[in-house]
Amino acid sequence: MAQDDKMAAVACTQWEEDLVLHYYGELAVNERAAVDDHVRGCEPCRFYLKELESILPLTVKPDEPPQTFWDDYSREMRRKLTQVSDKKSWWQNLASFFQPWAIPVSATAAVAILALTLALGKGFWSSKDVPQDDEVFMEILPAAENLEFFKTMDVLDAMDFLEDMGSPGKGSA
Amino acid sequence: MQPGDEDLVALARKGDHKAFEELVERHKQKAYRIAFDFARDREEAKDLSQEAFLRAYTHLGNFDGRSGFYTWFYRILVNVCLDYKRRKKRTFAEEFNEAVESQMEPSQVSQKPPSPDQQVLAGQLSRKVGAALEALPPKQRTAFILKNNQGLSIKEIAEMMQTAEGTVKVHLHRAVTALRQSLAEFA
Repeated sequence: MAQDDKMAAVACTQWEEDLVLHYYGELAVNERAAVDDHVRGCEPCRFYLKELESILPLTVKPDEPPQTFWDDYSREMRRKLTQVSDKKSWWQNLASFFQPWAIPVSATAAVAILALTLALGKGFWSSKDVPQDDEVFMEILPAAENLEFFKTMDVLDAMDFLEDMGSPGKGSA
Repeated sequence: MQPGDEDLVALARKGDHKAFEELVERHKQKAYRIAFDFARDREEAKDLSQEAFLRAYTHLGNFDGRSGFYTWFYRILVNVCLDYKRRKKRTFAEEFNEAVESQMEPSQVSQKPPSPDQQVLAGQLSRKVGAALEALPPKQRTAFILKNNQGLSIKEIAEMMQTAEGTVKVHLHRAVTALRQSLAEFA
């Protein structure tokens, strides 16, 4: 009878995985021998292994459908496959309809992409040759300063000229 | 001499329906059984395994032959089953009724009709196992079902799950540990 307070057996932690593999026959000969040796001298691990043998088969739910079930299965499967094939052929027909257009459409798309790339690329490359605003300003600034200098010089020249005109010895010159 | 699975796949790819139907005939029982281990219900297992066959049929172009048809197809099947499990939320009442009904089928337990006590215990066990399996993460559940119920080798499971053998061992160990704890009362 089932007991609700029954606890699972506790095996040696380092052997647990090997015990599971031992139960499923997935250990190499030498590994199996090592587990067997350990289990002989370890009661908790022996109990753990017994518990696996009693619990794990319970997890398999038996089911053996009758022959009529398999006949229905095959019949249904054939019907479903036919439906899928019909759908598939519809798509195949559609694809074959567009087949002649595939090459011209691809070529046009390729040309369009190339043209677009060149157009955008040109803008991108030429923009690299154009100096930045700061650079332009730095180039203009010395020229402007020179202009101011020359303007100042013109004013001074004009003043000298006026002075010369105003002086008595040179006034009539 | 019978054509191999791969020969039938090649024929089916060329549009030979009969070739694929032959593949279905070859693998239907095993496919159904795996689906049943996941779904624990006959009709659902039938639907799931058929769905897997249809997916395989429509995606035959993706089969590159690196693994056998068997491995490729069962990978599809397991994915179909896991997707279904993710989608489906079953009520406790449905599971209870189903478990009791299935245990009452005479072919499943023994030739003698089970006593009411046995029926109750069997129903309780079935529910508990179903719930414990359901609670496992998908990878653990897959590794466990393929090993425990289908008897596949760790190597085959690793190939099917596209993972390392060591990883399958870890999944299996964790699944067994969890199930032991859930089902200790039935030991």
